[in-house]
Amino acid sequence: MLHIERLTAGYSAIPVLNGVSIKVEQGQFVAIVGPNGAGKTTLFKTISGIVRPSAGTITFEGSDLLSVHPARRPHLGIAHVPEGRQVFPSLTVTENLEMGAMTEAGHRDWKRNIERIFEWLPVLAERRDQFAGTLSGGQQQMLAIGRGLASSPKLLMLDEPSMGLAPTVADFIFERLIEIRRQSKLTILLVEQRVAEALESADHGYVLEAGRVALEGNNETLRADDRVRKAYLGM
Amino acid sequence: MTAALEGFLQALTAGLLIGAVYGLMCVGLGLIFGVMRVINFAQGDFMMLGMYAAFYFFTALGVQATFGNAFGPFVAILLAGPILAVFGYAIHLVLISRVSGTRTTSLEGEGHYAQLILTLGIALILQNGGLIVFGSVLASIRTPLSSSAWELGPLFNDISVFVNKARGIDAVVSLVTMILLTLLITRSRLGKSLRAAADNPTAATYMGIDVDRAHRVAFALGTGITAIAGGLLATNYPFHPFVGVEYVIVMYAGVVLGGMGSIIGAFWGGMTIGLVQQMSTLVLPTQLQNAAIFVVFLLIIFFRPQGFFGRMVERT
Repeated sequence: MLHIERLTAGYSAIPVLNGVSIKVEQGQFVAIVGPNGAGKTTLFKTISGIVRPSAGTITFEGSDLLSVHPARRPHLGIAHVPEGRQVFPSLTVTENLEMGAMTEAGHRDWKRNIERIFEWLPVLAERRDQFAGTLSGGQQQMLAIGRGLASSPKLLMLDEPSMGLAPTVADFIFERLIEIRRQSKLTILLVEQRVAEALESADHGYVLEAGRVALEGNNETLRADDRVRKAYLGM
Repeated sequence: MTAALEGFLQALTAGLLIGAVYGLMCVGLGLIFGVMRVINFAQGDFMMLGMYAAFYFFTALGVQATFGNAFGPFVAILLAGPILAVFGYAIHLVLISRVSGTRTTSLEGEGHYAQLILTLGIALILQNGGLIVFGSVLASIRTPLSSSAWELGPLFNDISVFVNKARGIDAVVSLVTMILLTLLITRSRLGKSLRAAADNPTAATYMGIDVDRAHRVAFALGTGITAIAGGLLATNYPFHPFVGVEYVIVMYAGVVLGGMGSIIGAFWGGMTIGLVQQMSTLVLPTQLQNAAIFVVFLLIIFFRPQGFFGRMVERT
């Protein structure tokens, strides 16, 4: 579905990503883990078109993604739930979800989507008329996920959904994500620093270090790997 | 006593009427700043163009002949709005978009320096271009309604208030335009996408909103709105190619008073300025009208630096 080949990208002259190749197939749950500054967020921004790559290719469903205007990419079915949530603070919860539904598919499926989102994340239904800026961090994260789902995506990209949240809240959000995936069969690309949880639920994982793929494999091979165990799982 | 009360009510009425038009004028600027964060120094000169557009629609393009002297000016003014909106759209497309929006998000200061110089340059070109094209003679949009009034009352103790007909219609047109704009911004998909683009341009792009296009729409709307306000003012005040300079300061004061980024706030900011300007004539000589505006402005900002409707919510 999403094929990234030898991608090199960064800000000004210094590349943050150095020849990264990643594949996400239809229906897969792929996790990208790695330390701070490994280039995980830059990778997502490149997929969304906020950062321009200097080399490499990205194809989505067989067609070149890099030639598509950034604002058109969500309409192809790519939902980006950004790092730090980035909800629209002066819009209400419902209006935030409506912004997710700016895509053609999201507009079409609005009724069905909003029912499912409120069922999966009931706190959003309770607070539907509240300004997003007044929500707690965990609630904002759920709103950001709901907003992504409201676009009827084919691929849901989640950038560190646990960032800045209390461990119990982060656990709850992970549990919700797994439930959402089970019911919707959505293709998910997840970036996460909570390596254990991320690898546990993913089909396939990549370890990104200093802008390169240091390691890849299915969750068993990764979790069995000595380096991953020592560096990330604390074993 | 009665005379003083009558004077007060008369000044209050005049203040509310002119305040409604000032409010609309400020909203045009507030919309542009709120959505794009661009400080537009040429806004007053866009308004001047709106005045001349209404003037020529009325006198030269047949509106006067079709709709008559009384209501023709208002038809001409409502035609000037869309024309200036198209002008604003084009100015954004050709010039402003080069120094704002997604092109500059990664620049130091997000391109604000270039924006200041560019809009200042546009202002100078419009002023001096206006002088060449329109000449330096004072123009005005004359309607017999400017020199007649409705009498409200006698209300009590034989006190009546006079409402200048042209100013009364100006205020109504302002309010209706403001209500329509508010509905557009709060209810429509387009309006919500403008607010989202204002809140967080990057996240708006992730939603599939073309932020540069949203900016262009906001710039066009803001220009059109200010042009309508300009046309309304022109039914009572004569104008010339440099008239923008006089009003642009009032516009900024109104927008800051209302709270930078708040559209409804900009309206109330303009309204406050209109009220202060008219009420000050009760106690101060007319020459000090503008001084009174800025004394009150400073007082309000001293006690409430974020303005009436200033957002304390952090921009992420």
